[in-house]
Order: sequence, then C-alpha cells, then structure tokens
Amino acid sequence: MREKLLIGRLIDTGSPVHALDPRAKLTAMLLYAAMVVGARSWPALVVLTAFSFIVMASTRIPLRTYLKAAKPLRVLMLFILIVQCLAVKGGRVLVAAGSWHVDSAGLEAGAYAVARMVLLVSFTALLTFTTSPGQLNQGVEGMLRPFTRIGISPERLALMTGIALRFIPAILDEAQTIMKAQASRGADLKELPWKEKARMLTALLVPVTVGAFRRAEDLTASMESRGYRLGAPRTQYRPLIWSYRDTGFVAVFVLICLIVVWIGWI
Amino acid sequence: MGIRFEHVSYTYDARSPMRQTALQDVNIRLAEGALTGIAGSSGSGKSTLLQLLNGILLPTEGTVKVLDLRLSAGEKPPKLAPLRRRVGLVFQFPEQQLFARTLEEDLSFGPLNFGASPEEAAHSARKALAAMGLGESLLRRHPLQLSGGQRRKAAIASVLAMGPDILVLDEPGATLDQVSRSELIQLLHRLCREEGKTVIIVTHRIDELLPYADRWVIMHEGRAAFQGTVRELVDTAGKLPDYGLAVPEPIRWWRELEAAYGLQAEEPCLSPAALAERIAQLVQTDARKEQAYA
Repeated sequence: MREKLLIGRLIDTGSPVHALDPRAKLTAMLLYAAMVVGARSWPALVVLTAFSFIVMASTRIPLRTYLKAAKPLRVLMLFILIVQCLAVKGGRVLVAAGSWHVDSAGLEAGAYAVARMVLLVSFTALLTFTTSPGQLNQGVEGMLRPFTRIGISPERLALMTGIALRFIPAILDEAQTIMKAQASRGADLKELPWKEKARMLTALLVPVTVGAFRRAEDLTASMESRGYRLGAPRTQYRPLIWSYRDTGFVAVFVLICLIVVWIGWI
Repeated sequence: MGIRFEHVSYTYDARSPMRQTALQDVNIRLAEGALTGIAGSSGSGKSTLLQLLNGILLPTEGTVKVLDLRLSAGEKPPKLAPLRRRVGLVFQFPEQQLFARTLEEDLSFGPLNFGASPEEAAHSARKALAAMGLGESLLRRHPLQLSGGQRRKAAIASVLAMGPDILVLDEPGATLDQVSRSELIQLLHRLCREEGKTVIIVTHRIDELLPYADRWVIMHEGRAAFQGTVRELVDTAGKLPDYGLAVPEPIRWWRELEAAYGLQAEEPCLSPAALAERIAQLVQTDARKEQAYA
C-alpha cells in the first residue's frame, strides 16, 4: 500500500534541489499552482510541461516515480474526462448514440483538464520527495511567520502539517498490518469479490482510527514529557539559511510563470 | 516435504527508488514436525522470512517451497487460500491485528473463511481461547476493550483456532510477562510434540526457547548465517556476537561445564532445571570418586 502511495515520502538522491531552502521550494510550488491555473492554452501547457520535466529531472528521481504519485487519482481523472466529454459541446461529432454525442471540443477540454491535474499532482510531489518532514515543518513555519501579527500561530500550523505528513505512512502501515492479518486468515482482498472487499475495508476503519488516536496520544505524551510547549522559546538545531541558489530557483519559477500567463493571454 | 527456501531474495518497494533489500540469497530447510527458533538482530530479515511462508509476501528472486506448494519469483502464484489454511501466521504486534466487532467474531473469522460451519468455528474459538488461558467471558467484548496482554493472547488464539499444520509466530512473547511467555512456549512445544505440528518462532529471547527448540536459524543482514541443531548452535555460539547477538547465558554456562568436565559428546542441558540436575550429578560423582580414593 505504501509502495502505491508515494506522496509524503522523502527520496534522497542528494540533488541540488534537495539542498534548497524549503521556503524556496514552498514558494516555487505556490507559483507552480498559479501557473497550472494560468495556463489557458495548449502552447502554455506545453511550455509548462517542458519546464516541469526539466525541474523533475534535476532532482535525479526517475520521472515514472512522479507519475506514480498521480496514480491514486486516476479514477477522479477519468471521471473529469468523462464529465468534460459529455458536458462540453462544439467542433466535430466524434461519437454519437441517440441524443448523446461526444464532440471534439469536449474531448479536448477533458484531455486538457486531466493533463493539468497530472502536472499539478506529480510536480507538487517534488516538494515532499526532496524535503524531509522536519525541513518542511521549518519551511512552513518560516513562510507563516508574517501572519503572527494577525493572531495565527505558525508553530502550531507547522507542527500540525509535519505530524500529519509523518502519520500518513504510519497509518498506512497499520492498515496494511490488519489487511495482512485478514489475508493470512483466509480473506485476501485481491481474491475477494467487490462486495466482500468493501466489507473488509469497512472493518479496517475502527481499528485504524483507534490506532491513529492512540498514536497521537502517545506522541503528545512523549513530546510533553520531553518538555515541549507550544509557544515556548526554542532554538533550531539546523537554522534555515537562504542563499543565492534559492533566490535563483524562485526567480526561474517567476519567469516561467510570467511566460505561461503571457502565452495564455495571446 | 517440509519448508525450503532456495536462493530466495526479497526487496521491498522493488520497483521504486526507495527499494530496500530485506533478504539476499537465502537457502534454508525447515523440518516438518519440528520446533525451529529463528533469531537475529533487528533488521536482519526475520519478519520478512516469515511472511514468505504463507504467501503474504512473494519472493522477488528464488523459490519458496511450503508443503506441496511452490512460490517462485516471476511466476504466477497458485491459489493461496489452501496454503494459508495450513500455515497460520501470527505477526509481530499481534494486538494490532484484531478488527472484528467482538472477540468471538475475530476468533471465528479464520475457521469460517476456510469452510468451517458456524458451530465448528465457535467450538474452535472457545478451544483456542482456553488454550491461551483466557476466559469465555471475554468472547462478547470488543477486542479494543481487552488489555494489551489479553489482546496479544487473543491474536495468537485467532490463529490457533484455524488449526493450521504449520504455526509461524513472530516474537509472540514480546510484551507478555515471564509466566505467560513460559506457558505460551510450553503450549507450542506440546502442539509440536503431541499433535505433530511444525512450529517456527522468531524470538529475541533465545535463552527462553533453547530448551524446547529442535533447530535454529540465525539471520544476519538478510542472509541465513547459521542453521542447525541445538548442539551445533552451542558449538558455534562464539560466532553469535559477529551476528549482533549475545551468547545466551544457558549456552555460556553449559560451555563452561562441558569444558571443565569434558562433556562435548553430551546433549547440552539448557534449561536451569536440567543444568542444575546435571551439575548435581557431576558433583555427586566427584564426591563418590573422592570417597573411593580416600
């Protein structure tokens, strides 16, 4: 199960992207999301795709790993494609059955929406693939620092994000343990009919939820017993240092963002 | 038939950049009807080895032969249900593996899946529960209402209830108190001797299993560093620290005794009682000899 869900896992290849400041990567991801929204034409999407491939290749993580990160959403993507195909009309009629017909404009809109989704999900996986949860925490905290004035606690939000990210694999492991125990006692999900599959998965909910709460309680107790207090003055073991490389990385994203938005407008 | 691992390797996440090799070129033979102990330091591949025994994991290289079934890397596995009916696997942290609404439902889950009638399943559940020393009053409870130790015993009972030919247990005694651990080992020993079941136990407490195990396998860095009888383990115990394990005290004491009295040809006495009895015999013999000379 963990093999299939890659988001939230660090893949350390020691690339230059891994060494960047997490704040730079977070800023770049926000810009990337803006680019995906702003890419309003196929040429803009082509430029964005080419840029994405270059950045992904520079992390030295195989491209197929990025694509795998988008795989869990394939059903949603198929749904979007079908809805677009049926809802958007115009251009040539490709398939017709009675009053229903799929037009070229619908297929194009569907393909376009799916391509944008694949790009967004697979590219943003770069953040967790190249940043350890601890660094990501520090990055989120640093990015939210200006919001302290309006009563938002960056430390609290960073802690929540960090723990949530760390818990994803732990909870998946717990679910997998139970599924293995079920399989071992004669109910292998792979071999069961769909109705039984659904029943077995429902049976997982209670123990996995209880397990997650138990872990959360243990973690809280463990942190408190080691003197952790929210809002208490703390020094950082490895303080973040912003370098010219980080500025360059963000600058490239700003530049490509402008190009993509410009191509979209013309 | 027994169990055979032939050039078996296993890699987690084999097709991803996070791949981790847990077993490398493992060749092991485990005898049928025997009690085998498996030991090794953390991360040596013990748990992975066990999960290959009932097809929960399939080898990424080599072949695992269990009874009359064969699981080979790259080949489509046979239907696994018959294998799982005959090989009962108790995972590490078994207390996390209970999922049904009541303990009775959880204990009957395996037998029902393998074709037992509801009455037979209920009977097996009660028998297994009694074997683990738990009262029938617990049957109606939700598994999460049991204490940690009770849950662990219940999880072991859920596998015993299936009546498998081969019982595989991954550190079943961890978190149990010493009395419960000792009772559990004796129960497994009895199942092996009286009912002819094959029992395979992964343990960090080698000393507690030494008096009962027929054979040992020592895992080190994903390989089977040692496999043999208890006598062979005693003879090569000096190498255990190389595999990240301390020499168990009963073996240390026996080696001192055999060196002092020249007992190398004897079966080692590895339980405190057997060792004490043997020492008493030796002391008496010495005393008799002294009297004779006097």
